[in-house]
Amino acid sequence: MSRLPYPALLAGLAALTAALLAASVRLGYTPLDIPAALSDLVHGRDSLGALVLLQLRLPRALLGAGVGFSLGLTGAVMQGLMRNSLADPGIVGVSGAAALGAVLAFYSGLSNMFALALPLGGLAGAGIATALLLALARTGTGTSLLILAGVALNSLAGALTALALNLSPSPYATLEIVFWLMGSLSDRSLDHVALALPLMALGWALMLRTARGLDALTLGEDTAASLGVNLRRLRLAAIGGAAAAVGASVAVAGAIGFVGLVVPHLLRPLVGHRPGRLLLASGFGGAALTLAADCAVRLLPIRPELKLGVVTALIGAPFFLALLWRLRREAE
Amino acid sequence: MIIRTVFCLLAVGASLAAGAAQAKPRRIVSLNLCADELLVQLADRDAIASLTYLARDPRGSTVAGQVGGIPVNHGLAEEIVPLGPDLVIAGAFTTRTTVALLKRLGVPVMELDVPQTPEAAAAQIRALADRIGEPERGEALAGALLAGLARLPPPPQPPPTAVVVRPNGFTAGAGSMADALLARAGLDNLARRHPADRMGQLTVEEIVTARPDVLVIDAEPGAPPALAQEVLRHPALADLKARRVSVPGRLWACAGPELADAATRLAAGARETRP
Repeated sequence: MSRLPYPALLAGLAALTAALLAASVRLGYTPLDIPAALSDLVHGRDSLGALVLLQLRLPRALLGAGVGFSLGLTGAVMQGLMRNSLADPGIVGVSGAAALGAVLAFYSGLSNMFALALPLGGLAGAGIATALLLALARTGTGTSLLILAGVALNSLAGALTALALNLSPSPYATLEIVFWLMGSLSDRSLDHVALALPLMALGWALMLRTARGLDALTLGEDTAASLGVNLRRLRLAAIGGAAAAVGASVAVAGAIGFVGLVVPHLLRPLVGHRPGRLLLASGFGGAALTLAADCAVRLLPIRPELKLGVVTALIGAPFFLALLWRLRREAE
Repeated sequence: MIIRTVFCLLAVGASLAAGAAQAKPRRIVSLNLCADELLVQLADRDAIASLTYLARDPRGSTVAGQVGGIPVNHGLAEEIVPLGPDLVIAGAFTTRTTVALLKRLGVPVMELDVPQTPEAAAAQIRALADRIGEPERGEALAGALLAGLARLPPPPQPPPTAVVVRPNGFTAGAGSMADALLARAGLDNLARRHPADRMGQLTVEEIVTARPDVLVIDAEPGAPPALAQEVLRHPALADLKARRVSVPGRLWACAGPELADAATRLAAGARETRP
């Protein structure tokens, strides 16, 4: 199979993400003259079009891209670090733990007093879950044990989230578990972008620096260490980066599943199975998939719109099953 | 054990049915917040055996300050039957299982409808008052509602447009009590022209592009945090140059005299848009 050169692959994925970003801005629930709205916005004219574009369309598209980039990149990093093809923030409970952290910060009223508490709560939850899983994965556990631990962690986080929502004094809280478990980007605002994007970017920066270390790690921990890779720093960067990116994403968009699983798998053959090269590619791939799914929920004639996680699971769950099937066949 | 319990329930039911012929019920139980509010204003206090737990919550109830000491229930049949009620007031759409069981046991049950106009609300207040043997109080309470609405200032011309925004983006569509009150207050409800989805929700984008003169926010200051409330605080709504009128849910969720207060607030908002 002739392979696409790496820079061309990246450029292609980036272009796809940009195109879907533009499509997401164009899609809305009311007609909007985008060029006119954009010109109003640039010239500081106070028009309804500019308001819709700035406060509704742009935040939704930017968050879709940011959340997708975070999930795709985190999936690639976790799979590289744990050398386990089933490590995905959704499946192993990192997203669920982030949702728990964000729920505690939000419904306790903490984020009302101090807005950053929301993404920081998500970060704390995701960080604890990632560190726990990595501690397990390091001791040379097989795929099944890691996944089982992830399932347990996910159930625990889900149960505690449900408990926290039930204990909340708001009559609406209990039903809002759907948002936290399935994710959505509807009616988000620039405030959410300002809260989440800086933390996500910090996470991306930390995780993208692990590329060389992850390549070396394919040869085993000892070899990687002898190649001059500081494994401790590598793990810290991965945990910290994953926690910041997934924590901030889940805090503003809920837990959107399967993006971090599907995207690295689809792209791995295209980057010659090098975990380091997979990182940036998976980031763009995740952004493209999430934006496409978010366009789909608005195009489907179903109102109120589907939760984003429903669409990603419709694509991702069969994919996951097929993956397990193949793993089983390989094991035989 | 089960057989004995059933037998016991049947016996209670039979005795209740026998007592139901009396004119003025003395052990009234309410299974519905709207019924709670009307009962507190219509019935003698010692004739009320139990109200719902919701009646005590000042955020949702208009009578929270007056119900201290009255026992509360959570709408479960096993709470209600031992009270030996001689009349149970229920909502037409709530606690259906309990209502069905009470009816089977022969307990007299009166079901309150969800009126869609103030006149229908006044009629229901009178009907409930008659049923509990307090027709004069019913006449006074219904009269207060209608008189409050009659005192509304004349609507500004042309009528300012309005959209009701409730938690989770729910709005007030055609045929609802809120829609009737907006019309009385001289407001043109845009949701009538902008069909919401089948659950009656609007997206922020739809609210913004409808360009209402008045945004009617159905929210309670100091409500506990919930995503449902976020839509009411969305920056896009804040940037919209619309007059904001706050009407808390407890003023127009039930068909009671407080509807006049809701209409008065709406009318004040309508007039402020036309200086």
